[in-house]
Amino acid sequence: MNRTIVIPEVDIRRKSAARIAELSGQNIAGCIQCGKCTAGCMFAYEMDLDPHQVVRLSQLGMVDELVNSEAIWYCATCFTCGNRCPVKIDIAAVSEALRLIAYRTCPEKFGPDHVSDYDAQNAPQQALVSLYRKLGI
Amino acid sequence: MKVGYYPGCTLKGKAKSLDDTTMLAVRLLGNELVEIPDWTCCGATTPLTETKIANLIAQTRLLAKTRDAGYEGLVTTCPFCFSTLKRANKSLRDDSLKRRRMNTYLAEDQRLRDYEIPKPAWEEYSGQVKVLHMLEWLRDEIGFEYISRAVRRPLSDLRVAPFYGCQLLRPSEDLALCDPENPVILEDFLRVIGADTLDFPARIDCCGSYLSIAKPSAALRASFRILDAARRLGADAIIVTCPLCFYNLDSAQPRMLAEFADFRTIPVLYFTQLLAFALGSPMELLGLDSHTVDPKPVLMKIKRTAGVEP
Repeated sequence: MNRTIVIPEVDIRRKSAARIAELSGQNIAGCIQCGKCTAGCMFAYEMDLDPHQVVRLSQLGMVDELVNSEAIWYCATCFTCGNRCPVKIDIAAVSEALRLIAYRTCPEKFGPDHVSDYDAQNAPQQALVSLYRKLGI
Repeated sequence: MKVGYYPGCTLKGKAKSLDDTTMLAVRLLGNELVEIPDWTCCGATTPLTETKIANLIAQTRLLAKTRDAGYEGLVTTCPFCFSTLKRANKSLRDDSLKRRRMNTYLAEDQRLRDYEIPKPAWEEYSGQVKVLHMLEWLRDEIGFEYISRAVRRPLSDLRVAPFYGCQLLRPSEDLALCDPENPVILEDFLRVIGADTLDFPARIDCCGSYLSIAKPSAALRASFRILDAARRLGADAIIVTCPLCFYNLDSAQPRMLAEFADFRTIPVLYFTQLLAFALGSPMELLGLDSHTVDPKPVLMKIKRTAGVEP
């Protein structure tokens, strides 16, 4: 009995990792887990997964854990992480790719109905446009 | 260099004072900026995923319009506009696939939209227009030395904390305005107009950006840390360039007073308001009434000591 056994889950995970890498255009496999992104992230303490953990789970293709995490919705795309990354991975792009995957499985993540009356009247226009483009649609 | 002025949506709406004081300061410097004809939205953010090609059309359309109006450059005061336009411009220059796709969209667009007016065939746009931030334009085109000679009201009694935020600096490879970890352009500018500029450690942090709408409490804590750092340094005011930083840092202060026991309010000002004030503009023209935390008491301090009448 010398047959190769393919475990389906491993196969799915490999494909998921490749999908995240392709969508984000980032060399996720290059991450060395130095943690610089997490150290500099202004919102890491609000997240359930740290930015470097998001990249690690992306390497492993664990899409379900990532898509159901709160971390990807706390990214303000301030680019501190990607700018400091020694292997030049733009983690903001990884988060955006994961949000894009999340929209497919759980639409209605953020929309105009979630904007408070106060913000609708007072927030600068750019805030609403960028918010819808990053966390909605 | 012949440059067109691009105000963007927020400067015509919620951040009217930023647009007004920019125009006022430029006039006081004996110069003039003309708005790009028929301008539209800049797209606000840069699409980061490879599939979001359509989100680049607004930027390309605007840049091509600037070129067609005969301008070599575009100057904008809003960091969101600056960031998204400069990054789109770079990808149109470097990425041949994106360039071809964008130009195909816009060529089709022109044919469909302007069918009544005969126009020459679409000329490919490949990133020729130079995108400048107002600070860059003041430094390179007007010259800081010229500005320092034009100052009528030195602000040496005003201890200010410069705040850059995110969109002006990062990603530094694309924006190339200054060092992302140790930026100097805003400090240099503030020293030129005579303000006592503090070495502010939180100046490159993020104020929370659009998260103030989606995740208000997280953004409130981020903004609080910045304001608290400025207060501990003894700053009279925080100087910002971005309408969204202004919104997060200024109008959230009543909520911070309720939430954080040791919080003290601190006025937030746009760099153009301070520039116009230093150039001798009366306080009434600075649009200070729209501020949540009144900056007038801080500015009155200078008015008295410098002895220059408005």
